[in-house]
Order: sequence, then structure tokens, then C-alpha cells
Amino acid sequence: MSPPLCRRVVVVGRDAALWLSANVIRAALGPSGVEVSAVELPSLLTDADLYATLPPLEALHNQLRIDEAALLRSVKGVFTLGQNFADAGGARQPFLHAYGAYGTAIDGQDFFAYWLKARGLGLRVGLEDFSLTASAARQGRLLIPNDETEKYGRSDYGYHLPAAAYVRSLRGLAAQDGVAIRAAERIAVLLGDAGVAAIVADGARIEADLFIDATGEGLLIDALGVARESWADTFPGDRILVASAPEFASIPAYAEIRAHERGWTGLYPSLGQTHVVQVTASSLCPDEEALQAAAATGGLPLTGITLRRLDPGMRASAWAGNVVAIGGAVAAFDRLHNIDLLGVQTGLIGLLAFYPAASDFSAERSEYNRLMRSSYERLRDFQALHYRINDYGGSFWARARQGDVSPELAHRIALFQARGEIAPYEDESFAPDSWRAFFVGHGIVPDTYLPAIDRTAPDAMKARFRHMLGFVKEQVLRQPTHDSYLQTMVRRGHG
Amino acid sequence: MQSDRSKPVRVVIVGGGTAGWMTAAGLVRLLASADYDLTLIESDEIGTVGVGEATLPHIKTFNDLLGINEAQFMRDTKATFKLGIEFVGWDRPGDRYIHPFGTFGEPWAGVDFQHHWARAMLAGEDVGPLFDHSYACAAAARAAFEFPNEDPRSIRSTYAYAYHFDAGLYANFLRGWATERGVSRIEGKIVDVHRDGNSGHVDRLTLASGATIEGDIFIDCSGFRSLLLGQTMGIAWEDWREWLPCDQAMAMPTTRTEPLIPYTRATAQRGGWTWRIGLQHRTGNGMVFSSAYCSEDEARETLMRAVDGSPLAEPRVLRFGAGRRLKGWEGNVIGIGLAGGFLEPLESTSIFLIQAAVVDLANLMPTRGGIDRRLADEFNRLYQVHYDRTRDFLVLHYCANRREGEPLWDHVRNMRLPDSLAHKIALFEACAAAPDYKYGLFSRDSWLAVLVGQGILPRGYNRLADRLPADDLVARLRDLKGRIRANVDAMTDHAGFIANYCAASTAGASLESAA
Repeated sequence: MSPPLCRRVVVVGRDAALWLSANVIRAALGPSGVEVSAVELPSLLTDADLYATLPPLEALHNQLRIDEAALLRSVKGVFTLGQNFADAGGARQPFLHAYGAYGTAIDGQDFFAYWLKARGLGLRVGLEDFSLTASAARQGRLLIPNDETEKYGRSDYGYHLPAAAYVRSLRGLAAQDGVAIRAAERIAVLLGDAGVAAIVADGARIEADLFIDATGEGLLIDALGVARESWADTFPGDRILVASAPEFASIPAYAEIRAHERGWTGLYPSLGQTHVVQVTASSLCPDEEALQAAAATGGLPLTGITLRRLDPGMRASAWAGNVVAIGGAVAAFDRLHNIDLLGVQTGLIGLLAFYPAASDFSAERSEYNRLMRSSYERLRDFQALHYRINDYGGSFWARARQGDVSPELAHRIALFQARGEIAPYEDESFAPDSWRAFFVGHGIVPDTYLPAIDRTAPDAMKARFRHMLGFVKEQVLRQPTHDSYLQTMVRRGHG
Repeated sequence: MQSDRSKPVRVVIVGGGTAGWMTAAGLVRLLASADYDLTLIESDEIGTVGVGEATLPHIKTFNDLLGINEAQFMRDTKATFKLGIEFVGWDRPGDRYIHPFGTFGEPWAGVDFQHHWARAMLAGEDVGPLFDHSYACAAAARAAFEFPNEDPRSIRSTYAYAYHFDAGLYANFLRGWATERGVSRIEGKIVDVHRDGNSGHVDRLTLASGATIEGDIFIDCSGFRSLLLGQTMGIAWEDWREWLPCDQAMAMPTTRTEPLIPYTRATAQRGGWTWRIGLQHRTGNGMVFSSAYCSEDEARETLMRAVDGSPLAEPRVLRFGAGRRLKGWEGNVIGIGLAGGFLEPLESTSIFLIQAAVVDLANLMPTRGGIDRRLADEFNRLYQVHYDRTRDFLVLHYCANRREGEPLWDHVRNMRLPDSLAHKIALFEACAAAPDYKYGLFSRDSWLAVLVGQGILPRGYNRLADRLPADDLVARLRDLKGRIRANVDAMTDHAGFIANYCAASTAGASLESAA
């Protein structure tokens, strides 16, 4: 077995993108002889920062042999079954984007069409009531899957991970696994024929076969002149506020996103504090008003407040020359759906699939760039949906309704309005149930439903509905509350 | 279109070949009878092309959806089993490989099999061809057949199967099935198509008898004529002969010969290629050729030389061109089958393309509310995905050849490829990654089979495979081949399996279509 060409990998950056990259590449390609070192730039995180994560992260943690209970104990993290989208103005009913299936198939057809039909016939039961995950979340419980619930449908979860502690934990793992770490205040980039010849970190010259740009702003990819496309015309917000509020007495099993006239404020519980994130538009809302809105919407005293610029957009290429950009360096997402770490993960999984196999890696690079563009655009579309179809009050949301949408998203919206189906596209990260949660949550009622479900006799359909509701109720009542689970699994470690 | 919501939607299917009757059967199964009236018009005067007698494993999903008894269907259509397609001489004269219906090996350490194989090959291990790691290839080579095992841990679960059947008899079979379930069949030749002046939608057909048929939705299964989609609605044809230059076929049945092989054979010839499909009662043969490089006389001689039984009929000539219409659905007209597009039968895709269109149409079928442009847009998007991906796969068989000095093959070797295909080939060569998309034909394993079969070998592999220790890799590859061999050795032979399971009655020979 010959060593791969790109034997020396240097990851340059900070925070989760840096340490996830270093750990994942080290764990996956160490056996092939790849050596990973990290150049660590100063963290941009404060104690109020949080990584709210989506279900796929668990699998990445498993690959890194990160023990879930130990991680949550050490970072004071909690579980989350989804996000509750509420209208602070009270006009629209709140809805959950739960990380699990809504209903179970009938006669081999998706549940959703049956629900649409039943609703047209006067059913008053919400889509959420057919979801184990959503029902558990509403009751402050978790949903620990078993064979029966798996047969019913998927029940996934994410985490709320206090960011600075999570980064420390990942850094410790990297150090322990033999990643050479060098801290640097600043770097300079030296260009060569194949891309970046070396970086200079606080005066020290560092060469590599492959550089990973995990700097967030994209210091390396930028030096190579890779253009950045702004998504400012799609997303209304450009200002982000992060703050800390007191811990909830009982820890909800989900995050709450409250839409208000100036934007939205998200409350993300962890152990020891509640993390507050708010997105506003600077041209519509001066910073002082943003501060007031955050305090008023959350109804909680805020400390450790930071205001930052939010600038969603994507690089023309994720991989240029010998530099692969991961995380914010390639695609910066809006904050709404906690896409950031999913973006990092998508970039890393793709890189492992197309890691250079030989001296000419232009085919791998071109496939990686195609795959990343397509994946990130679908993630962007998923986020854009919520903004585009909202009917919340206020100038922020009016601007959101005018945002640009891609042809793919426009088609998806049109097809849902026509038939309630989600047009399938390649490289999509979110299940149709996630898309439907937003359409339904925003009150869009399709004109028709899948005609094939009319083959199911109405009585049979009603019986299945009753059975599902009974099953969900019974299963959820058996589940531990989030508080009690955290008590036994997480808090115990603190004695 | 009517807006009277109290009446069922009237769906009129024009043409009764494989496409027409698959459409009728699929829709009558998938749609509620209270909401849709289904009528099929066919004319005994107009022959059907009887597209392909070989299928892909998806056909079983379609038949299962209809609730068709497999043994009965196989008896009625004189069917045999199919585990793949053997390509003879496509890379160089004399070379052969099987594109199997199944996977190569197993994923190990979370990494797809071909990377492990490529790793061992590049390390100089004596691992043998990729095809030695396919259960379906091994079973096909022994002319053996049994149903796959449902236990995913068993090596016998790693293949699927399709059928060879008499397409004319399949259409007959579905005609009986569909008419029993409420599809009205009208015999007659269409002499006039009437369009509504405002909407431009087709609203009425006139038959030679003078009878008129009104409808809300018209499904054009009229074959190459494309009576409604092409002629009436004027949807243009996108010509793909640049990449697929074959434009004629010559078909001829011969007597059955032994052994009864459970795979289709496609043999490259100087001016095109010949097919061989073994049914229970006869062998289907034919030659697909390019008129620019091969005369009809040459094609006839080549075909006669290629067959291994006695001719049962004179060769019959068909003319066509590869391509598809720009849209499959315009206004209230949907084209299914040859009316929508044509790809040569190299990978038995015609019947799959019909099936995919029927399922998509059932999902997107207009309701009593009327035609909805948004549903048509989705149908057209999926239709393009299906055709375009299939096209790239077919072109791969041609472009990657080393038959130097033969004008047709020199041409296709040197032609400019669709970018989407050139990229796929370059990627496989670089790192053994095969196309792995979610929607549309073909699967990763199919691409692998043809890439490797056409002589394209990877220079690298996914280095995640290195997580498996090298000694372990060699032992696992040996063990895999051992399990395949041991299991295949215990299989029944194909002819014996057919005789027990679904032997066609000899009396049924009178039902044989005039294919």
C-alpha cells in the first residue's frame, strides 16, 4: 500500500470547523498514513454561544468514538427534538419542526396525503399529533426509539452544545489522537503553483500537501481569489445577537424560535443557562432596538451580549488548488435551522469520499465542488422556504417574503401548493416531513392530494388514524422526561 | 377541460401496445374508479413495435403493484428469468462481461466494495476481475436460477432478477387484466384530433367509423408516430443520434436452443450490435445498426451469422432515431413510450421508462379540478431525469471501445461526449467512484459493471478502505468468492427451474403474437 499523495494535511482555522475537520480526517485517513496538524486561530466564541445541532451529528460523533453521555456531561449539553416556531404577535399558531417522522404509511403511501384528505373532510387533529417526536417534545419528554417506534417512523434528535466547552472537548480529542497543534494569533498565506505553497503562522512557515480552510472567513480560499456569492437577496437578516439568560427550571426538549416585528429571537436551553440568538436586519432595526427586542421577546434578563454581522453566502468553489474550505469559509448559512455544523459535516463526508487518490486530483476536486454546490444550495433553499412563505407581521418579515428564491425552490413551493408533494432533488439533506412541517406550519393548504390514496376505504383510513393517535399517546407517556433523563445521564457525573 | 366536478375525469389512452396497456393497467390499479374513467383506443390495423423482450428488475415491482401472480404471468408470456446482460466484444472483439442485476461484493468498514477491490488490484494482489465478486454473474455463467434470499446477511440476497418475455403476449396479458378491472377498450383507427379553441387542449378524437371520443386527459401511446404529443401538440424532438448513431433494427425469431441462459446477450458487430433473448418457446434475435455505417444487406448477413437456431420468420426492419421530446406532458397530453422518446434496447430500458412515466403520472394525475401546469412541470422534470441519465449510460457502452479500424466504433470512440458522462468516466478513473444518484436509472453497481467491463480501470480508490488491514482484505476477498461459488454450485439450473415453476403450455402457442 502506497501512501496517498496528500499525506500532510494542515487544518487552519478555529472553533468547531477546525476541530471537527482535524479529528475526522485524522480518524478516517490516519490508517492510510495521512498526518494531520492544526493551526489554531483565536476563538470567536463567547460563553453565550451555542451549537444547536441536527440529527446527523450523532453518527459523526460515533465515528469519532465520542461518548454521548460523557460529552453532554462535560459540556453541559442537552437534547433537542426540534424547534418550535412561534409568532410573538400571536396571529399564527406555533408549529414544531420535529426531528422525526409525522405519521406512518397507509397502504404503502405516505401518511401526509391521507392527513390532507382528512383535513379537507373536517379533521381537526394537527399533523404534529401524529409525530412521536413532536408529541414527546410538547410534553417535555424524549423519545428513545425501540422496534415498535422505529416501525412507526423515524425519531431522531439533536443537541444543544455550549460552544466553547464543545470546542475544548474536540480540541482535547485531537491532541489525544496525535494531531499536532500550533496556536497562532494570525496567519499569512503564501501562494505557489498548485495553490497555497505555505502559510506563515506567527512567523513560522508551514507547508502541506493539502490545506483545510476552517477559518470561517475563508482566509486561504480568499487568497486564491475564489469569488463569494452573497445570499443577501434571499435572507433578510444581517445582524446577529448572542446573549446568555438564566437556565429554565425545567429544560424544554426543543428550542423555541419567536418571530417578532424586527426579526426572530431563539431560546436554546442547556444546563446552566439559556442561550439567546436573535437575527435582525440592520437597515430596519438599529442595534439599540435589537437589544430591546431580544430582552422583550425572550422575557429574560440577558448577559454577555455580543452583536455580530450575519452574511449568508457561498464560495464559487469549495476546493481550489490544494485548499479545501470547510464550514463558514465555503458556505455561511442563516442561523434559523442550525445548519452550521451540518454544513461542516457535509463538507467533511464529501472530502473523505473524494480525497485525492493520485497526483492529478482534478476529477475528485471537480466532483467535490459539484456535490458541495448542490448540497449547500438545497440547504439554502430549505432555509429560504421559511422566510419566503411566512405571514408574520413587521417589516423584517415583509422583506423576507420578497426574498429571491432559486428555480428549484420555486418549483418545490408550486408543487406543494398543487399537490402536497415535495419534489425530489439529489443531494437533499432534509426529509420531506421536514419540508412539510414548514409548509403546514405556515398555513399553506395544497389544492389536491395524491389521487392514489382514494383507493383506501374511508373507514380503513379512519381506523388507522385512531390507531396512530393511540399509539403515539401510549408511547410518549412511557418516555422519560427530558429533566429526569438528564438527571440520570448527565447531572449524575457532577455528583 | 370540463370543470364539472360531479363527473369522473375521462382519461383516453391512444394506442394499445406495451406502453398503452401498461399505462391502462397501472392507472386502473392506482386511481380510484369513482374518479377516473379509463378508455383505451387501439387499432388492429396498426402494428405494435413490441418494444424489447427483455426487462429490468423494476418490472417485478410493477407486476407486484398490480398484484399479478408471477408464475401465471410467466406461463402466459412464455417468460424466462434474466440475471443480467452479457456484452460480447464491446470493448475489443472477443472480450465479454456481464452487467449483473445485483451488487458487487459487500461494503466493508463502511466503504463500497469496489474500493476494496481496486485497492487489492492496485497493490498487485491476484484478486481476479471485479465480476468474480458478483453473485448474479456467477449464477448467470452457470445458467442457474433460484429466487434471491430475503435475509440481507446472506450472499444470496445480493442479486435481483427480471424477465425475458414476449412483449406482445405481455400487452395481451395486461389487456385482459385491465379490461377486467374497468378499462374500456375501443377498437378503431383515429382519423381526426380536435383541439379546444381556447385552451388548445385536445378534447375529441374521431375514429374511422365516425364515432367520436371525448376526454379530459389524453395519453399518447401511439408509438413513433406520436400522434398527439408530436403531431398535434407540436412538441419538438431532441435528437441524440450525435451520441447514439444506430437508427435501424432488424428482428428475427429463431427456434429455442439449449442451454436456456438466464441473461440477455448483446454482441458488438462491425456496423452495430446483435441481441439474443431466450424465451421458453423461441429465441428473439435482432441487429441494431447505423445506416451510415451498415447496409441492410450487411445487417441481414450479420444477423444470420449470429443466430444459433433455425429462423422462424423473415427479418423485419424497424427505423428509429435516439432522442426524446422536449417535454413529455403538454397541455392535457402526456406521451408515454415511443411517443415520448426512444433509446435503443441495449439495456432493456424501454419498458422501465414506460413504468416510470406511469407511476409519475399516477402521482401527478390531474383531478376533477382541471389541468394544473405545476403538476406537468414536475412530470417533465422527472421525465428528463429518466431519459437523460439512461442516455449517458448507453453512450458509455459505445464510447469506451477499442475496436480500432471499424468506422462506426472509431466514430463513437472519438465523438464529443455529453459533459455529464465525460465527468463520470474521469472520476471513476481517478478514484473508483461510480455514479451514485438517487433518482433515475442506473444504480452504482450497474455503472461499475459497464465502466470496468468496457476496460476502464481506476488509478486510485477511496483511501478510507485502508482502515481494513491488508491481510484481512485478501482473506475477505477470498472468502467472498468462496461463498459465492459454494452457493451458486447448489443452485437449480434455469431450464429446470422454469419447467417446474412456470412452463408455458404447448397449447398456448396459438396465442403467440406476431412479433
